[in-house]
Amino acid sequence: MDGLHKNPNVMNSQTAHPTTESAVESAAAPELIGLLTHEDVDRARDRWEVAQARRRGRSKSFGGLRLLWLLVGPGVLVFLGENDAPSMLSYSADGSRYGIGFFLPFVVLTFLMGFIVQEMTVRLGAVTHRGHAELIFDRFGKFWGFFAMGDLILGNFLTLVTEFIGVRAGLGFFGIRPAIAVGGALVIVAGAITTGRYWTWERITLSLAIFNGLFIPAAILARPDWHAVGHAMLTWMPLPTGSRYQILLLILATIGATVTPWMLFFQQSAVVDKGMQPRDINAGRFDTFLGALLASVFAIAAILATVPLFHHGINAADFQAAQFAEALEPLIGHAGAALFALGIFEAGIVAAIAISTSSAYAFGEVFQTGHSLNRPFREAWPFYLTLLGSASAAAALVLIPKFPLEFVVLTVNVIAVLAMPPALAFLLLLVNDREVMGQHVNGFWTNLAGITVTVLLICAGLGFGIATVFPKWLGG
Amino acid sequence: MNSRYAGVPESQRALGAIDVNSEQLTLQDPRAVLSLLEADQVVAAKRRTHFGRRNLSLRTRVLLWCLRVYVVAMFVIVLISVVQAIRSAH
Repeated sequence: MDGLHKNPNVMNSQTAHPTTESAVESAAAPELIGLLTHEDVDRARDRWEVAQARRRGRSKSFGGLRLLWLLVGPGVLVFLGENDAPSMLSYSADGSRYGIGFFLPFVVLTFLMGFIVQEMTVRLGAVTHRGHAELIFDRFGKFWGFFAMGDLILGNFLTLVTEFIGVRAGLGFFGIRPAIAVGGALVIVAGAITTGRYWTWERITLSLAIFNGLFIPAAILARPDWHAVGHAMLTWMPLPTGSRYQILLLILATIGATVTPWMLFFQQSAVVDKGMQPRDINAGRFDTFLGALLASVFAIAAILATVPLFHHGINAADFQAAQFAEALEPLIGHAGAALFALGIFEAGIVAAIAISTSSAYAFGEVFQTGHSLNRPFREAWPFYLTLLGSASAAAALVLIPKFPLEFVVLTVNVIAVLAMPPALAFLLLLVNDREVMGQHVNGFWTNLAGITVTVLLICAGLGFGIATVFPKWLGG
Repeated sequence: MNSRYAGVPESQRALGAIDVNSEQLTLQDPRAVLSLLEADQVVAAKRRTHFGRRNLSLRTRVLLWCLRVYVVAMFVIVLISVVQAIRSAH
């Protein structure tokens, strides 16, 4: 843990301060020349592209688009990554059990909550150039650091398991054997990290993530009643009816499908690895907004795609991903069902890449080993082995016969919601810390929004707890 | 650390900011790399500087402890619900 302070390559430890001073103008510049790494040079290359785009953007009418193209990435990835297999399953459960109504605008609200908290990680990463785990250990010490890490690692691993369940189930629809589906997914995860370059990794993962949009044609093939969709979006009606416990569980799972601890750690680390600086914060906000917008549209599409199950009175209470596709086939056709199954596969694979990377970033930050996708394997092997190891262990678990996969799927989003309030508390403390953030500390409204989201999550968690321990109170 | 600029002699490390907007910029020049990065963005610089421990007020510590207890209690409740679900499945 204290490897940093014992590292012979490390100059005397000093207190960090937020700064926008160029490295070449700093007092340590002559010393830094001999210590520049592959990671620094790759990051400088990315910054050069951004500087060029910024310069050209001033002289050309659409020049700003090139700048946005370069700076978009972590926000879109984190939200499309969070539209993962269990999340799409939760949205499908919303649509199949309750039809068009309350859950459509509710999903938009959860993405708004997601945007509020993720925007803070953009500022933290761009201002401090440090990952979330590293900052928590720095500012709060090992005890609270390991507390935050424990929740993250448990949540990440369980979620990773569900991603491979999604991969297995999605490809299972096409008759592909589980071992081949899961093994193939593992090869894709490994392939994405062999680039040795953050930029290349980000673009490969983004190009995979955009297939989350497969739920849109699936929804169109389900021929939704657009008038009812508009009515629901404006009025939040009709409200779900039936077991209050089941409704509460689904509300919790839907929130957990949008705001989870891994997203905080991942986006901040990705912003740092991308080399974003305070002047890029507005672009980072746009990136995060775009991600939230795309993800909410795709989530609504998943709800609409499964509404025919609700209209035909098909009980989807215990459905897994492949069963949704199979049940949809006679209602929306083979093409629609195939798109749905492919969407579940895509959701699983992109999230597996993002979540295993999130675990590896956190591990590297805590144990002070190289933790950048700009580093080759030989310079950051603990980082890459953590990434591959966590993905491999989750994949292996999915292949164990009679492993209770359905319980993991059911609980993973709930666990994500329950672990979120402490993660948000650390986030709010950090983003209000003037020694860390300088002029970029939270304002009144961002604090109000952040605290509101935290209180909402605590209330949702307490509601779940009460409903579980005292089911009769909610008629469960 | 394996630096590609480790061999640059001390006498050639005279520094001055260079125009990062120049089309002619080359990353073979370590000054270009340093000009493009912020002072605490260079890996070696980040390793030597740390945001120190902050003093947690009593209120903050109470808040963090409450949240810790909340999470542990909620995880126990999740376990209860999983056990209930397994029992009802059988």
